[in-house]
Amino acid sequence: MIWIGDHLVSEGPGGVYGERTVQGYRLWSPKRSKLAALYHLGKGIDLENYHRVLYLGAANGTTVSHVADYVEVVYAVEPAPRPMQDLMVVARQRKNIIPIMADARKPERYLPLVEKVDIIYQDVAQPDQAEILSVNSRFLVSDGIMVFMLKPRSIDVTRTPAYVAEEVIHELSTKGIWTEECVWLSPYYPDHAALICKVS
Amino acid sequence: MKSYWFLDREGGTCHALPHDQRILADRIKQLEGDKTAETPDWEYAVKCGFAKNRGEYLDLLHATAMALTAERIDEVSKVDHPELILMVKMLDEIDIVINLLSERSVEWYRALNPEFSRKSEMPRGRKLRDLMRDGSDEALGEILDEIEQLTKRRSTLSGKVAAKAAEHLPNCSALAGGLVAARLAAEAGGIRALALMPGSAIQVLGAKNALFCHLSTASPSPKHGLIYQYRGVHGSRKEKRGKVARVLAAKLAIAARIDYYRGEPDPVFITIAKEAILNAGRIQ
Repeated sequence: MIWIGDHLVSEGPGGVYGERTVQGYRLWSPKRSKLAALYHLGKGIDLENYHRVLYLGAANGTTVSHVADYVEVVYAVEPAPRPMQDLMVVARQRKNIIPIMADARKPERYLPLVEKVDIIYQDVAQPDQAEILSVNSRFLVSDGIMVFMLKPRSIDVTRTPAYVAEEVIHELSTKGIWTEECVWLSPYYPDHAALICKVS
Repeated sequence: MKSYWFLDREGGTCHALPHDQRILADRIKQLEGDKTAETPDWEYAVKCGFAKNRGEYLDLLHATAMALTAERIDEVSKVDHPELILMVKMLDEIDIVINLLSERSVEWYRALNPEFSRKSEMPRGRKLRDLMRDGSDEALGEILDEIEQLTKRRSTLSGKVAAKAAEHLPNCSALAGGLVAARLAAEAGGIRALALMPGSAIQVLGAKNALFCHLSTASPSPKHGLIYQYRGVHGSRKEKRGKVARVLAAKLAIAARIDYYRGEPDPVFITIAKEAILNAGRIQ
């Protein structure tokens, strides 16, 4: 990862969403991106230029654009048409973003397009987010890593986030997904956790 | 036989597809959900002559995915007509703005003319604006002009919404009127979402607070949501409203499905449904 002082940055054509640039690099703010927050907390997986990434919940392409700056190719899955229009604009400039308009619950819909990937990054605020990760783990190479942005509040608002997270980790383990680390993203994102997972 | 998005492989021979985004995009649509579809293997694509190297493979994949996604976005707007929903939301927003500004103007006018009372026979709408315009501040006059303009925009827009609803929701519009039909679709989250709803859900669309209050406490269930705006509902006697709302909602559910799946008016259905709604409001 590229750091300039305390700033996490990425190298690529700027002006994607009005981000600042530092010495010609695009500032990747932890306030705008949970993945950047994870790196600012000193955790996370270093992105390399040979990495292939499956990105679930690509939304408007803010974080996707930074990931694409680092890696070889990003398969960006997003079901909703309006954010997809924004993502298309980003993908027009970055040829290594492969936009896929599909529901991440149905990976068979994009099975013919997506090759085996080194990293699966998931950020979908849905109640069944653990299940979504599990059905997509088939795209992972055997020693691949999954970065799972868990939003316990989307699963159950009435219980404490820590309790929900524990349950999710247990649920994942029954599906053959081993959680190596659970990082809470406070102070950047209160009540959000990043789970670093592997297929066991 | 093995099928990839870029080629077919039969035994030892392979047949690469041409570098045509339309053909490739159609091919991907075909392969979706097909159990025989293979996880793409770029090395095989190179071996078979589809691409010269990984770079070209990714470029082709990118171009094809872009074309396919553009097509998908187009399809969604074709069936769901987001424009209609945004137009009706805009219309309702303009209503709110007109009411807020009007109320504030009356307050302002009252401060300038203490003898003006809301209790007395107060004219409404345009008459009220004309009354306030003379003998008031110049700044207030300008705002009144602005409200006048907004009112005009509102009626133009409302006509357009009704016309668009009659085009995209012909059966619903025939039963409940274009504006109510469009509002229902907006509240449901799209024409497709409306078509998939049961009548009982359509009946209370727009009565979210009352519904959840009913579900969590002992308060009575809401009789009607948005469809209250339909003349047959708010115009009938109080004890009949629930029945009219129920019948109307049931017929609207059928109408929404005809609208979504067939997309054209069904005169026979409309006649029968209207009759049923009318009958529900009759006093035996």
